[in-house]
Amino acid sequence: MEKTTTPKKSQADLLVEAQQRKQNQFRMGVGATWGFLLLVLIFLFSGKTVLGFETIQLDTEFMRKNFTFIGEGLGETLLISILSISLAILLALLTALGRLSTFPPIFAVSTFYVSLIRGTPLYLQIFFFFLALPQLGIILSGLTAGVLALGLNYGAYMSETFRAALSSVGKGQREAATALGMTPLQTMRRVILPQALRFAIPPMGNDFISMTKDSALVAATGFVHEVLWRATKVGRAQFNNLEALLMAAMFYWFMTLILTFFQTRLEARLARGER
Amino acid sequence: MAPIVRVSKLDKYFGRLHVIQNISLDVQPREVVCLIGRSGSGKSTLLRCINFLEEPSSGSIEVDGLVVQSHGRGKEHRQLIHDVRLKTGMVFQEFNLFPHMTVLGNVIEGPVTVKGMNRAEAIALAEENLDSVGLLFKKDEYPARLSGGQKQRVAIARALTMQPRVMLFDEPTSALDPELIGEVLNVMKKVAKDGMTMLVVTHEMGFAREVADRVLVMGDGEIIEDAKPSTLFSKPKDPRTKALIDRYRTGGH
Repeated sequence: MEKTTTPKKSQADLLVEAQQRKQNQFRMGVGATWGFLLLVLIFLFSGKTVLGFETIQLDTEFMRKNFTFIGEGLGETLLISILSISLAILLALLTALGRLSTFPPIFAVSTFYVSLIRGTPLYLQIFFFFLALPQLGIILSGLTAGVLALGLNYGAYMSETFRAALSSVGKGQREAATALGMTPLQTMRRVILPQALRFAIPPMGNDFISMTKDSALVAATGFVHEVLWRATKVGRAQFNNLEALLMAAMFYWFMTLILTFFQTRLEARLARGER
Repeated sequence: MAPIVRVSKLDKYFGRLHVIQNISLDVQPREVVCLIGRSGSGKSTLLRCINFLEEPSSGSIEVDGLVVQSHGRGKEHRQLIHDVRLKTGMVFQEFNLFPHMTVLGNVIEGPVTVKGMNRAEAIALAEENLDSVGLLFKKDEYPARLSGGQKQRVAIARALTMQPRVMLFDEPTSALDPELIGEVLNVMKKVAKDGMTMLVVTHEMGFAREVADRVLVMGDGEIIEDAKPSTLFSKPKDPRTKALIDRYRTGGH
């Protein structure tokens, strides 16, 4: 057999290289601009006067002293988010299955729940659990109230994602399982759900990331010591709201960047997987 | 000999459309029956009524001694349908392999989940059947990595591993590229030769002529002709049959 070695690059190689060069240039351009915008942002808060342009002076002493106090709220923020998303996933799944039901009461309960939750503000729902329920003799801790409200709220929205994921599994799959003799439950558990969940993972990741920020609303109860609660506490006490909120914003942003990084990798892996 | 499949006075409506019109049909054990007919003639629906993928509107189905009436209700009726499904293996036009399971996973799924067979036993049986369709070497691949012909052969192995008494094929080669049809038909011939009772909805006249013991021609929800392939292809009685055969003879689809 003859082996062909090509010392010169083929036309295809050159085209691919040109394309990669273009892509790299784009990425570098984006990266550089991000860096520049970040520098501008930092500069705006640097307190220096450049060319007669006066920037904002921050109380760095206050920031140094309260950095850990606010940062420690991340643990609570993540805890609320993880508990709430777990509840939300469970509710969303049940609701999505309920919406596929041909039994009227189950279908009705599902749609009723989604309609009620989507028809009212999340902020109101949190207050409802924390402030309104005690009037009925149900006293919940801030954390429990927050998790219930966030879970119920996200569950309603996520049920749409799950419903789409479930209906993305072709009817041929159900028929094949049925023809093998599987019961509806077995079909759901062994055939439909595994495929639907895979489809639902990327949007679920998005919801989780967005929930880490919505969890800040739970600060309103005054009893959950997450990032925003801590920031407003020290900010108000010492009239350093600007610094405190800026730090909180940075913490949220930083956390989001990290979560987004993992989300992107997860999506890439799922896209590569067998389908 | 008692028939292994008996369809009695079967009717099926889709809304107002009367797609199966009072059909009765007996299939003997080890018989290979091909169902041909124009699209919309009801042949797929008839096949799908046999394992209750479609609920018949009236009439009854009997498979290997189990009689299921069309209007049954309740637990007993569901159990009967379940038992009928265990006695029938089905192969679909679109293969319908489970994409999240490997080839072997697909083939052992039925025996393990439905029959509660132990895994080792199921694997042994599955490997035997994968070997007989020539795809044992692909057992750890996912369906996405197989050609259409290979997918359909796996689907046949999957159905066979349930050890059915009757195999139902619903246009098994219609979704395949022409060059991949042969390998699937060869596997089907082998299954027929091994003595399986088969009902095959198909457009492959060559297969019908060569392998079938009987060919049923369907038109407008009725069986318009029921004959040995030699008779049917040389002396079709009904003008619709003649038109159908002529169309395939001239290579049209």
